[in-house]
Order: sequence, then C-alpha cells, then structure tokens
Amino acid sequence: EAIQTLATPAVRRLCHEHSLNVASISGTGKDGRVTKEDVLRHAGLTVD
Amino acid sequence: MLRNLVSRNVTPAARAWQPSTLPRLATSSRGLATAADPYDVVVVGGGPGGYVAAIKAAQLGLKTACVEKRGSLGGTCLNVGCIPSKALLHNSELYHAAKHDFKNRGIDVKDVNLDLTRFMKFKDTSVTQLTKGVEGLLKKNKVDYVKGTASFSSPTSLNVQLLEGGETSLEAKNIVLATGSEVTPFPGIEIDEEQIVSSTGAIALKKVPEKMIVIGGGVIGLEMGSVWSRLGAEVTVVEFLTAIGGAGMDGEVATSFKKILEKQGMKFKLGTKVIDAEKKDGKVFLNVEDAKSGKKEQIDADCVLVAIGRRPYTKGLNLEAVGIEVDQRGRIVVDDAYNTTCKGVKCIGDATFGPMLAHKAEEEGIAVVEMIKSGHGHVNYEAIPAVVYTHPEVAWVGPSEEDLKKQGVEYRVGKFPLMANSRAKTNQDSEGFVKVLVEKNTDTLLATHIIATGAGELVASSVLAIDYKASAEDYARVCAAHPTMMESVKEAMMAGSNAMGGKAIHF
Repeated sequence: EAIQTLATPAVRRLCHEHSLNVASISGTGKDGRVTKEDVLRHAGLTVD
Repeated sequence: MLRNLVSRNVTPAARAWQPSTLPRLATSSRGLATAADPYDVVVVGGGPGGYVAAIKAAQLGLKTACVEKRGSLGGTCLNVGCIPSKALLHNSELYHAAKHDFKNRGIDVKDVNLDLTRFMKFKDTSVTQLTKGVEGLLKKNKVDYVKGTASFSSPTSLNVQLLEGGETSLEAKNIVLATGSEVTPFPGIEIDEEQIVSSTGAIALKKVPEKMIVIGGGVIGLEMGSVWSRLGAEVTVVEFLTAIGGAGMDGEVATSFKKILEKQGMKFKLGTKVIDAEKKDGKVFLNVEDAKSGKKEQIDADCVLVAIGRRPYTKGLNLEAVGIEVDQRGRIVVDDAYNTTCKGVKCIGDATFGPMLAHKAEEEGIAVVEMIKSGHGHVNYEAIPAVVYTHPEVAWVGPSEEDLKKQGVEYRVGKFPLMANSRAKTNQDSEGFVKVLVEKNTDTLLATHIIATGAGELVASSVLAIDYKASAEDYARVCAAHPTMMESVKEAMMAGSNAMGGKAIHF
C-alpha cells in the first residue's frame, strides 16, 4: 500500500511528476524512507 | 582494600527510594561480610550526559546508581554553564532594552537601575530549581544518587569518597564515565575568580567592571562579554584566531556576527596573542602581541575573563589502574559504541570526543544505555545543533561553507535576510539572516546557519529536516505560520532549492 511508504512531500511530488509509484522504489533513508535522491536515481535523473 | 559492606537487602524492599541502603563504610560500622548486589549500571558524573544516562537506564529496568561529587546534580551545564549564563543573558537583555530601547517603542521608564545582588539571586534561584528538579527525577526513576568522588578499584568496582565523610564501594556490571570538562587554564595567568575569572567567576561578579577583557572569542567569551557589556562594562575580546565564534561557525556568519556585536559596543582584537598578565593597583594589565606583526601592547582592565576553552576532566578516577586510554588532549578514547579500552567501562560527553555541548552529551547518555540494554543505540553527529545565546542568537546545524569546500561537496546557497521577514520587521528586531546549504545534485539539505533573535529555536526544524534526510524543497513546501520568524527559514529553503526555482518570495 503506497500510503504506508514513508516519504516526504517533495518525494511524493517528484514521483507524481514522473508517474512513479513511491512504493515501488526502495528507500535508503531512515527506516526505509524513500528520499528524493532515491527517486532521482530510480528515474535515472542523477549523476553519481 | 577494606570493604565493610552492609547488604542492600537489610531494609524492606517495598520502599522505592532507599538511600540508606547504599553500601557504605562508616567508621563505627561493625561490618558485615555480605557483598552488595552489583548495579547493572553505575554512572560517574551527574551532568547532562550522566544524569540522562542514569534516568534512561533506570527506565529501561536496569539497576542504576549515579555518582556525583559536586553536591548538586546537573553538572557544569546546570550549575556553572548553560543555565546560569542563559539566566544572565536573558535578564541583561531586558535591562539593556529597558534602558536603551523602550523609549523608541513608546514606553517611557524613569530611572532604570541595576540591582546586581537580586540580578544574581534570580540566576541562583533558576539553578537551584533545576538542579533540585534533576534530583527529583533521579528519585522518581529510582536511581541511587551517591554524593561523592569515584575512583576505580577494579574494572567493575568504584571506590567512592562520600561528601558527608567515609567511603563506599560500588560494584557494577557496566560503568559509564560522564565526568565532563573543566576550564582550560591560560599558562602564566592565574585565575583568582575575582579579578581574573573563568566562566565560573564571570557568572558571579560582585560588581559590573568598568573595563573587561575577554581572552577567547569563542561561544563562552562572547556570551559572557555580552552580559557584562549590556550591564555597562566596556568589553574587549582578545582572540588569537582571525575570526570569532569558535569551531564550526560558518565564515560569513562569523563576519556578520562580529559586526553586529561591534555595533552593540563590544571591541575585538583579533589575531592577537596574549602573553601574560600582571595585577597592579586593583587592575589587571594584559600584555598582548599582534600575531602577524609581533607588535606588542599593554591593555588594562578591572576584570579579565579567561575563556580559551574547556578540557576533559578525568582527575582522580584512577584510569591507569584499569587501563583506560586517554589521548594527548586528555580525552578518554572510545570506540563507536562508547567502549573505553577497559571492558565494561564506557564514556560519553565532554570527557571524550566531539563537540562539548550539553545536548550532545544527553544524546550519548541515551545511546550508551540503550547499547548496554539492547546492543544498539544511535547518535546522529550530522544533526547536532550549536547555539550562541547572544542577541541576536547564532545557531547552526551541519557543516559550514568552508567545511563543504574542503570536502569538495557541490552545494547551493539559499539566503534570506531578516530585513525581509514580516515578524522581524514588526518587532523591529531584524538583524541577521538565514542561510541554508543544499547539495547541488540531490537538493538534500546539508546545513542551516542562522543569525536571528530566537535562532536557537528556529534551527530545531532544520535539525529535524537534516535528520530525516529532507531536501530543501521538502522544507520549502511545509507551511509556516504567518507572521513568524520561521518563515525566514522556509524562504531560505526556497532560495536554496533548485526545484523551487532558487527564489524566495519576499526577497
């Protein structure tokens, strides 16, 4: 259930923008939180 | 060693608080041979690290004792540090405002006078209430409070010289050292706590000095300098480094902060080395030298505050006897689980590594007993705020720009001046700014640096944000009440976040 995934407002916004389900992204933040970085990486938007 | 221990089981167990059951060696005691049950945890030191560790340990169901030699709990922070200095800072600010600022605000007061005796009494009352409060908390949580000086007799036992006379021995499965710090003395300058004072003397001066010199432009020096400057002293801060604020303060913040304090009347001699001091005709003459040019100068004052730093305090613990290693700065060496080099003995707070801050010690106090109880505990050293309680306050969390440059981190700066903040303007208290440092690529909030009235409170939300690994956009998208100072932090986040267009609304 997506609502159970811990994510901050910016993360949810970013997921919306790229039509991503936040629950499908594995989080690296505290207690498995999906961070903005995780979303960017998932969407291939960040250079490592 | 002679151990005349009275068994803890002598008194009925029904009584929650049993100070009399503490094993003790009284000269008249007939001495039973029964050994006391060992404690699960004995905490040495009743400061912010120690008393918090003791309370938390008891809450986790561990049989706990806390040994403190001062005669009152709360340690440096409550007795001669945070609490008394903040009481003086607050009231000196009110006095200064009544004398110099009320008129501008349409409030006419006649004859604003300082009653230093009552001024100091107010501070003492705050201290007593809080230290007694901690004693009540230990009692409530059933921590045995042992008043005395501890030293190791073995890795699992401490000998305690009791304040009321006699001695006792405490057996413990785990010992947590939280012995704190003491004032670093200045070589060649003897502190008499009257004319030449440490922070301890500076919170208890008997009259306002006409001229005061503060050696050291760190947090303690600036705070105490502010207090006495507001009360009428002509204050000069002598600092060896070329910037004020001490370790961790962002360079831009330090520069701006210095200007603000200068406007308030404080003088600064930066890049200046203090050589020595001589007392003559009721004054102190300080010989100083420009660190660069070597130009010598003598400056005089009625009172000199030595505030060049603090150093770990481990005297009398007999660390050598149990093989506890200390580094060249006197800090007890610990691993990432606060273990010292002696098994079963841990150390937290000022006595070991890290910034000497009360809340840092408190976090470690909790983490260390959680480790004892369950094997894991955690302090996020990336998210520990630092606050200077001057007016305006300076507060920050996270690295300075200088730190980030050194680490080669790519970052964006978001800044918002209080001049553009509605509440600050309304209160006519708009000196300062909020500056946020944001990782360029991921928008992650790295640091927040604030100069503002109430900066110590304002920084708290950034500490939370950093602990949550929030982005600047996250913060910028959270609603701040209007009109509040907090809006300035939100707007700095807007300015720092690429996703928000890197622009604040009101600036």
